[in-house]
Amino acid sequence: MLGSYPITPASDILHALSSMKRHGVTTIQAEDEIAGIGIALGASYGGAIGVTTTSGPGIALKSETIGLAVSLELPLVVVDIQRGGPSTGLPTKTEQADLLQVMFGRNGESPVPVIAAQTPADCFDAAMEAVRIATTYRTPVVLLSDGYLANGSEPWSVPGVDELPGAPVELASAPNATDDQGEPVFRPYLRDPDTLARPWAVPGTAGLEHRIGGIEKADVTGDISYDPDNHDRMVRLRQAKVDGVSVPDLEVADPSGDARVLVLGWGSTYGPIAAATRVVRNTGAAVARAHLRHLSPFPANLGEVLRRYDRVVVPEMNTGQLALLLRGTFLVDVRTYSSVRGLPFTTVELADVISSTLEEVR
Amino acid sequence: MTTTDLGMPVSGLQHVPHLPDGAAKQTKRDFTSDQEVRWCPGCGDYVILAAVQSFLPELGLKRENIVFVSGIGCSSRFPYYLDTYGMHSIHGRAPAIATGLATSRPDLSVWVVTGDGDALSIGGNHLIHALRRNVNMTILLFNNQIYGLTKGQYSPTSRVGQVTKSSPLGSVDSPFNPVSLALGAEATFVARAMESDRAELTTILKAAAQHRGTALVEIYQNCPIFNDGAFEVLKDRSQQEARIVRMRAGEAITVGAEDDRKVLVRQGSGVMKFVSEAQAETGEKGAVVVHDPALDDPSQAFQLSRLDTPEMTHVPMGIFRQVSRPTYDDLVRAQVTGAVDAAGGPAGDDDLAELLRGRDTWTVG
Repeated sequence: MLGSYPITPASDILHALSSMKRHGVTTIQAEDEIAGIGIALGASYGGAIGVTTTSGPGIALKSETIGLAVSLELPLVVVDIQRGGPSTGLPTKTEQADLLQVMFGRNGESPVPVIAAQTPADCFDAAMEAVRIATTYRTPVVLLSDGYLANGSEPWSVPGVDELPGAPVELASAPNATDDQGEPVFRPYLRDPDTLARPWAVPGTAGLEHRIGGIEKADVTGDISYDPDNHDRMVRLRQAKVDGVSVPDLEVADPSGDARVLVLGWGSTYGPIAAATRVVRNTGAAVARAHLRHLSPFPANLGEVLRRYDRVVVPEMNTGQLALLLRGTFLVDVRTYSSVRGLPFTTVELADVISSTLEEVR
Repeated sequence: MTTTDLGMPVSGLQHVPHLPDGAAKQTKRDFTSDQEVRWCPGCGDYVILAAVQSFLPELGLKRENIVFVSGIGCSSRFPYYLDTYGMHSIHGRAPAIATGLATSRPDLSVWVVTGDGDALSIGGNHLIHALRRNVNMTILLFNNQIYGLTKGQYSPTSRVGQVTKSSPLGSVDSPFNPVSLALGAEATFVARAMESDRAELTTILKAAAQHRGTALVEIYQNCPIFNDGAFEVLKDRSQQEARIVRMRAGEAITVGAEDDRKVLVRQGSGVMKFVSEAQAETGEKGAVVVHDPALDDPSQAFQLSRLDTPEMTHVPMGIFRQVSRPTYDDLVRAQVTGAVDAAGGPAGDDDLAELLRGRDTWTVG
């Protein structure tokens, strides 16, 4: 079920999904951004795949409810089609400046998985991945796109239905513990030891009646708890759950194997970066390229990849948000190439940046 | 325009699984959770909780199909104390969350518990839109005319002039009348009850639960710590008869004891006024108003809601409006099932493949 409020450049998702009723898709055009995510979260609570779609200003309004979903530990997909900001900014122009907002723009320690689509065609796979993470780990997931991807198009290799990754979900149906007297009981925050996900017990399931909420909960029982040690434990458990999301290693493209410079991007800069590295390689120079799909958690090999190169260049349509995360996480130097003009990078522009960086390390 | 025919109006609980015949009768205890109730001593919320816990067994529903969603505030702790499904959400947002839940799950009896600050201030937008949409849910609005949990600031229902921690010189905020607001928002069921009148509260709760659509029940509730005695003139036995206007469908609207009864009439100008029984009989002051909550036109219900004044000279209690209108969630589901039926049944792999192929595909190689 989609809960959404009209906003440029995200409204087309609402339009498209509202015509997919034949496929069992329910859409609700909400009274505001907050209601859009509230409706999605209510549907998730009832056992549906709750989705909300918006752009940067809408994320700001949805922040408190994303935090509630972090606390409730229910699946939820939040799609942010980024546009120029701050405030109303450049509604019809592209930008990548919501990364830190979706990572940290909530009260308290409120970790969420974040993934970014790379190309128009990749939006399909990225959305599937967002649903997989949300349902497997019982967490809100932010899927980042931007105006460039939203308004772009490219040939897409149509997948066969049998090739699609499923998102198998097991709803809780029976008590999962025993109480002091040996009676079976349901513990809504007893976690799966592998994923740290809590059971998804939807209303209508007899014997599993329980209460959840945004007040801190006691580990395992889910009862309200103000205990200091419990809060510390729950904060770390929620973080550990997100940190433990299975993410494939980052693949680096370095055809010659001699590269000393890595160009690392995320999101819609995939196309321009790929084109620019091709141009540079065609001159006989070696340059490595990698693109991050998962921004939270990062791929496990990312630190090692970054340290492998003399220079790491990170082109971003913001003033260096991914670079800030990389430096803070891995204590490595990365060079930001930044342009915030509401326009995608050009191949020539990035090829020049790469070439001048190659000059430096020569 | 496409309309969806939903057939005859049905009960709000129509699609909610009931206990099978012969099942053990539920009791208040079945609906009481193991959590310690943490309201202040003397809080009106205890009385409402007891009334709800005692009344729920009467519905005969499977307990697991009942959900209470709340926002933030003293009243919003309510779900923790009921052994049903429950969500204590965030400030003001419960109607939005309940809308998503009720629309995706017709088999649930969905209740929202909220307060005057939660519903009418921070959550005002969600409240009015739930009411206009007519989502199948019951909203219990505990009105104590104060912010209790945050320890005593004036609320959107506080009286002008009310001295609180945040209005030391008296509040200059003009209050909402929640019933008038709900009627203006196209609500299909609007009622008011006193926390202290358990019999009447239970009657209204029952009607609200049965109503298909959004039912709003305003419950006057005393906050003994920050706004004690707000409704004392209505609880005081020597005064209540002269002040409480008990509305009964099909009957004239009266107030006062038998020897001093006043009857509500509509004057030629349209204004409503209480007159003596003798004057009412002659009709000299206007036509006697007969209460009819089923009137499609909400004007009379709205006028009744305006009898209420800050002085509480005359306070109507009971059901103001109870009309049938298609519910949002039924209509949304009907569009989905209609599309599925028109296509010959639920989508299979072939349908999904067709969707993926879209309208502009070609084969390479």
